[in-house]
Amino acid sequence: MSFEPLLTKHVREPNSFTLDFYLQHEGYDGLRKALAMKPEEVIDLVKASGLRGRGGAGFPTGMKWQFVDKKSPNPKYIACNADESEPGTFKDHLLMERNPHLLIEGCAIGCYAIGAKIAYIYIRGEFFHVQQVLERAIDEAYARGFLGKNVLGSGFDCDVYVHRGAGAYEAGEETALLESLEGKRAQPRNKPPFPAVVGLYGCPTAVNNVETLANVPIILMKGAEWYSKLGPEKNGGPKLFCISGHVKRPGVYEAPMTVTLGELINERAGGVRDGRTLKAVIPGGSSVPILLPTQLDTQASFDGVQKAGSLLGSAGIIVLDDTTCMVWLAENLLHFYRHESCGKCTPCREGTDWLYKILRKIERGAGQMSDLDLLTSVANNIAGKTLCAFGDAAVTPVLTTLKHFRHEYEAHIKEGHCTLPADWRARQGVATHP
Amino acid sequence: MDTVSLTIDGRQITVEKGKTVLQAALENGIHVPYYCYHPGISIDGSCRVCIVKIEKMPKLQTSCSTVCAEGMVIETRTPEVVAARAGVFEFLLVNHPLDCPVCDKGGECPLQDFSYTFGPDQSRMEFPRRVFDGEGVKGDVDFGPTLMLNRQRCILCTRCVRFMRDIDGDAQINIIDRGYGSEIATFQEEGVHSLISGNLMDVCPVGAITTRDYRFKSRPWDNPIAADTICTQCSKGCNTTAWIKAKPEWAKGAQLIRFTPRFNHDVNGYWMCDIGRFEYHWIEGDNRLRQPLEREANLGQQPISWQELTSKLGDRLAAAGTSNPEGVRFLLSAHASHEELFLFRRLTEALLGEPNAVSVSWRYQTKSQPAGSKFIVPPVDAPNVNGARAMGLAPGKVGPVDNDAKADVSALRAAVDAGRVSALYVFDPGPEGSLGDVQWIVDARASGRLPLLIVQGVVLSALARAADFVLPGASYVEKEASYTNDQGTLQGATRVIAPPGEAMEDWQILVNLGVALGVPFTYTSAARVRADIAERYANEPGLAGIATLVFGRPVAARNWLQASNPSERWKWDFMFQDMPPVKGHVDPSAVPMPIGAIPLKEVK
Ligand SMILES: Cc1cc2nc3c(=O)[nH]c(=O)nc-3n(C[C@H](O)[C@H](O)[C@H](O)COP(=O)(O)O)c2cc1C
Ligand code: SF4
Ligand code: SF4
Ligand code: FES
Repeated sequence: MSFEPLLTKHVREPNSFTLDFYLQHEGYDGLRKALAMKPEEVIDLVKASGLRGRGGAGFPTGMKWQFVDKKSPNPKYIACNADESEPGTFKDHLLMERNPHLLIEGCAIGCYAIGAKIAYIYIRGEFFHVQQVLERAIDEAYARGFLGKNVLGSGFDCDVYVHRGAGAYEAGEETALLESLEGKRAQPRNKPPFPAVVGLYGCPTAVNNVETLANVPIILMKGAEWYSKLGPEKNGGPKLFCISGHVKRPGVYEAPMTVTLGELINERAGGVRDGRTLKAVIPGGSSVPILLPTQLDTQASFDGVQKAGSLLGSAGIIVLDDTTCMVWLAENLLHFYRHESCGKCTPCREGTDWLYKILRKIERGAGQMSDLDLLTSVANNIAGKTLCAFGDAAVTPVLTTLKHFRHEYEAHIKEGHCTLPADWRARQGVATHP
Repeated sequence: MDTVSLTIDGRQITVEKGKTVLQAALENGIHVPYYCYHPGISIDGSCRVCIVKIEKMPKLQTSCSTVCAEGMVIETRTPEVVAARAGVFEFLLVNHPLDCPVCDKGGECPLQDFSYTFGPDQSRMEFPRRVFDGEGVKGDVDFGPTLMLNRQRCILCTRCVRFMRDIDGDAQINIIDRGYGSEIATFQEEGVHSLISGNLMDVCPVGAITTRDYRFKSRPWDNPIAADTICTQCSKGCNTTAWIKAKPEWAKGAQLIRFTPRFNHDVNGYWMCDIGRFEYHWIEGDNRLRQPLEREANLGQQPISWQELTSKLGDRLAAAGTSNPEGVRFLLSAHASHEELFLFRRLTEALLGEPNAVSVSWRYQTKSQPAGSKFIVPPVDAPNVNGARAMGLAPGKVGPVDNDAKADVSALRAAVDAGRVSALYVFDPGPEGSLGDVQWIVDARASGRLPLLIVQGVVLSALARAADFVLPGASYVEKEASYTNDQGTLQGATRVIAPPGEAMEDWQILVNLGVALGVPFTYTSAARVRADIAERYANEPGLAGIATLVFGRPVAARNWLQASNPSERWKWDFMFQDMPPVKGHVDPSAVPMPIGAIPLKEVK
């Protein structure tokens, strides 16, 4: 393959996280270039590159930066979303651990572009070790003048801080993240106003994912045109794919978004294990609808996956083979969502727990046929009625498994137990939650 | 006023710019339910029951958090909205204990009422309900000195959290844990310690926060009478509603069952303090003065008839006044209303012609409240300092009563201590202590330095016990009386109940006494007194409008919401017509059912 990784090329090298190593590989040249431009020009460049947010929604980053209220007399901020908690997603972890300076450089360029002086990296509570790596890298960057007062003699001041969350999925939602940064409970705010106008401490703020910001130095180095041509139209640039589940070589793979799901799963990740067949793919983290083996030629781009009826989301590709009980899958995921709901909205707080209880009952063989309609109805009563997208995310595993694998639910109910080969649980070491 | 026009359910509506869709709907009598929204606190958008359809928006939107925009088209009754809303109501009840029969809020509960109107007619929940720690033991806890918290009933609307943060200024309440395990809590279960804690009972839309004062004392349908009035326990003059419990003849106990705040934008907003709310038990307490008393040698204070008292007292005062006009002095509490101050002034003028005969006093007591509190309880513990100023009985002009408005009775005290006062008439219609320090009077009477002490008041205080004559008067809920608060606003207090026993309205006592003393009083009612005040103080700002002041009167009560919160008032009249009214005289069949309401299932 002619594609040369840009984000993860060196991640296997022992010193890839050090500043010396980074500087040997054109490190901070993107920042130098940016500082020679006007901030608006940097934003225009990012707009022209077509960079879309890698945190889940795929919103154009240049536009987000342009929305930041420059006329506001208040300070501006970059809040880097490093909360990475979506099941099946582990790309930001790798980037920060093995290539932290790329993110720091991206933060600095972002600050320069939107007129901010401070970037906060809000890192997932469990990423303790990664935080240490980041802190070290930030110290190095300060020591060599890439951060701090008068960056590289340009007159631009920039500070980067790492803030570790207390471990909550919902803290990844951008406004919940801002609340948490302010020291409050990680619960989303009403929008509007959007963070670009009223964000952190009431000041204009751009919330960007780690991978998103890591793409910015690349755009400066390679140019907007080159970048946008790397990949299908409107889906430019390199993309990290997290492949997990029943594949031979799970891991983070970098590719332009011209790649198909089939190529990623079968060629890069080695396909499902021998003697197994592919049952389903969740292409964008646990919150998105399932795709079937017949859809493997789907282009792994924001638009391609959407056209196929799902979402690229965080590009957490979860591969499921024929040993997977879909009822159990839904129960397991609802156990997660029930636990992670922030509890602000009535439907999400009460509904996720209810869904979980029904699923558990069915999975244990005590369900009734009427429970299936109840599941659908409760799920639909949550979807679209909540403050943040969590509600929609939480019901997706239920609705999508019911849509494609209703017969497995019915089998549980009719037979009183899972009808997959009796020993599958034992083989997988799977336990249901109490 | 900038306005925007929008369409709700096909109706063209124009509202002030900046209003939310929910406010626009409520103001125009369109029925949208809500829990987390409260007009007095910040918006949360969390309960999700106020969802409506807004044209061009793919998802349903919460009307409480959507600001009206020009040309918006909103639907609140389409099948989509009705079904989605019912779904949210089902969620609200899946874990609610439904212990309405033993819940203080039962019968006046927004959760009950909105659920009846907008919720599904049955629950599909088959799993056990959520209980907090230890099977309901810790779910129901003490919540500070004034409140109780029942976590099982809580619907997590966070009104209480936001009240403490936004209004009290000390964010003592928050949610701990998250999602399904969320619970309302205070630091280390210390409970709420605040001078305005009682408002939490009002803002809580369910029976999760109740007051210890009212807990288990009554059910809403046992409080058939309510009267809009004002509180007189400090200089603020909060607008309130007094609630009267009906009880059979043989039942003991008080009639006054609670006070709730009543919205007045300029005076108290939606709130009142705990002093006004909870410290009213003296009104019907055992210590209340119920009959006139006279001290008899060796026998102590003995009951005496009004007639006898008036004539004896008239004689004594006349004698003292004739021998030494300067020796007759009056000490009035700033709890005295305009009517009472005025009559005292006229009485002393006629009797003694002596403007220095009257001193006015009140207790001054700084309250400890958080620095950022939006509801400050003033230090002056009396309602009518401005009234005393208006009539020239206290120094200063009518106007804002500032924070160092302390009473000064040192001249009177010096005269009493020097034995220059032969008769002291104290008027003390407030709660015990509200007159400030009076021990010096008790001491002077005991030592004989003060030969004659007359107390007209409401409780058998130490001062009243020291008196030679005791005249039982009326408390602030037992007479129509007017006061000018610390902002210079004239307000009237309602006669909610009758004075106890032989106690009389104070204007009447003074008129009778005046007549006995030969003062030509011809007043036949408090209103006549006010008319005379209006004539004599035509240019006094704090008294303007006194002749036409409108007083509340006890009426058939509907609900505390009706009384406390205008944005919620409408719903009692319009929304719950599918339920028989708990009380009042509305014929439910005569009013059409709100469209969008889900009819109650007929029980066969
Ligand atoms: C429940 C929920 C969880 C989220 N978690 C994350 C996360 O862990 N990391 C992330 O980058 N974005 C997350 N997002 C998306 C963010 O809200 C936001 O869209 C993103 O950080 C924007 O960055 P981007 O434009 O660079 O993608 C989450 C959204 C929701 C609704
Ligand atoms: S949808 Fe769920 S996670 Fe999102 S704000 Fe509401 S309760 Fe919290
Ligand atoms: S205690 Fe009452 S006011 Fe507080 S969150 Fe619960 S229901 Fe709302
Ligand atoms: S009243 Fe609108 S969400 Fe609660």
